[in-house]
Amino acid sequence: MPDKHISSQFDAELNTISTLVLEMGGLVESQLHQAVYALVHMSRESAEQVMENEVRINQFEIQIDQAVISIIGRRQPTARDLRFLMAISRATQNLERAGDEVARIARMVKSIVDSGSPRNLPSSELRVAADLAAGMLRKTLDAFARLDTTMAVAIIRSDDQIDNEYNGFMRKLITYMMEDPRTISASLDLMFLAKSIERVGDHAKNIAEQIIFIVNGEDVRHSSMEKVESAAG
Amino acid sequence: MTPLDPATKKNALELRDLNFFYGKFQGLKDVNLDIEERKVTAFIGPSGCGKSTLLRTLNRMYSLYPGQRAEGTVNFYGQNILDAKQDINLLRARIGMVFQKPTPFPMSIYDNIAFGVKLYENLSSAEMDDRVEWALSKAALWNEVKDKLKQSGLSLSGGQQQRLCIARSVAVKPSVLLLDEPTSALDPISTGKVEELVHELKQDYTIAIVTHNMQQAARCSDYTAYMYLGEMIEFGSTEQIFFKPSKTATEDYITGRFG
Repeated sequence: MPDKHISSQFDAELNTISTLVLEMGGLVESQLHQAVYALVHMSRESAEQVMENEVRINQFEIQIDQAVISIIGRRQPTARDLRFLMAISRATQNLERAGDEVARIARMVKSIVDSGSPRNLPSSELRVAADLAAGMLRKTLDAFARLDTTMAVAIIRSDDQIDNEYNGFMRKLITYMMEDPRTISASLDLMFLAKSIERVGDHAKNIAEQIIFIVNGEDVRHSSMEKVESAAG
Repeated sequence: MTPLDPATKKNALELRDLNFFYGKFQGLKDVNLDIEERKVTAFIGPSGCGKSTLLRTLNRMYSLYPGQRAEGTVNFYGQNILDAKQDINLLRARIGMVFQKPTPFPMSIYDNIAFGVKLYENLSSAEMDDRVEWALSKAALWNEVKDKLKQSGLSLSGGQQQRLCIARSVAVKPSVLLLDEPTSALDPISTGKVEELVHELKQDYTIAIVTHNMQQAARCSDYTAYMYLGEMIEFGSTEQIFFKPSKTATEDYITGRFG
């Protein structure tokens, strides 16, 4: 946050919270990369690593929530400080859920490996989608750190891309399953994996909306793209 | 919060191009503002910003001091308060004021209330008893003092004294109450009672309150005005001012940043 409060302790507390959110986001991002690695290489070890790390994401959520509650209780923040803390709380919740989706991917990979017959999954398309989602998350964290609304709008718009990819991939899977019922089992796994990746993109988008809330005080959740653009302007 | 519907809005006070001078020093600069009827309007800003000056202008308190003068107009239901022909005593009966420090008169609790009423009205002793009870009840003090009305007003606690002063203002049935930092000398419990009182009183009165306590303005006002160096920087609904002020200067002040 730019500009200094008269109380430098207040600034320090807000900075600490910002740093924690960015660390948490960074962890979710690296988790996503590792989960994709586990998927592509059918690595049980990597999948387990992701599942273990999920605990740390949950701890971040609790720690950040406590810090937000403490500031609200002791300092009665107003205006952009108030909006900032509300946004932090919502962003943290979205990061935690994105972390859940990533852990879900890892669990699925592990169960596929454990089933003893790692199927020959066409994972390359999922990898593209996962890279898109990871890139989106990274940009969202950057935009959050800089309170960049222009970037936030671009992120919100790019979520449509991921959604389109997802829908296209679904149609493809349905064709596979219709052509050869033996692919149904593997296709269902892919569908759930794709859904989790798509959800990560949604959470990144939700966080991007909060950047506009902090800067302009406009709540753009559940709004059309036109409204988002005018609110960010 | 009540929606701000311009159609039903009625103003108790309309300030136009108001300037105020302490000798050569200009305390208020071109202030334009509407104070809505039966709402609480809070004035915030750093020391010396003119918020108390503004309040003192609204019932001509400054007339007591030579060298102080106001220019512009303050329209109070069709009459200009600043008009030299304005009957000041009558004005102060309609626009009451409560100060930062409780100022009970050195007389009984009963007489503290009755004193002002006697200046304006000729009531029988039964009517006066009713009026005293009514005013003390309005100020949420009746239950605490009903058995000791003959005791000195000075025997009450600070919070009670302040509510006594509010009761005294209410007793003459004004239409506007001006509160100049009414709780700055009070503990949190008394402060809470006065704020509760403000909320009750706005059913019948228009209230303007000056406060250094931003949270107090946020808690008990409908509108907030932010002043700085004699100028009205921003005026809006309290919700808007504390959630999304439109001026950076306002935001810096209410969030506690360097201006």
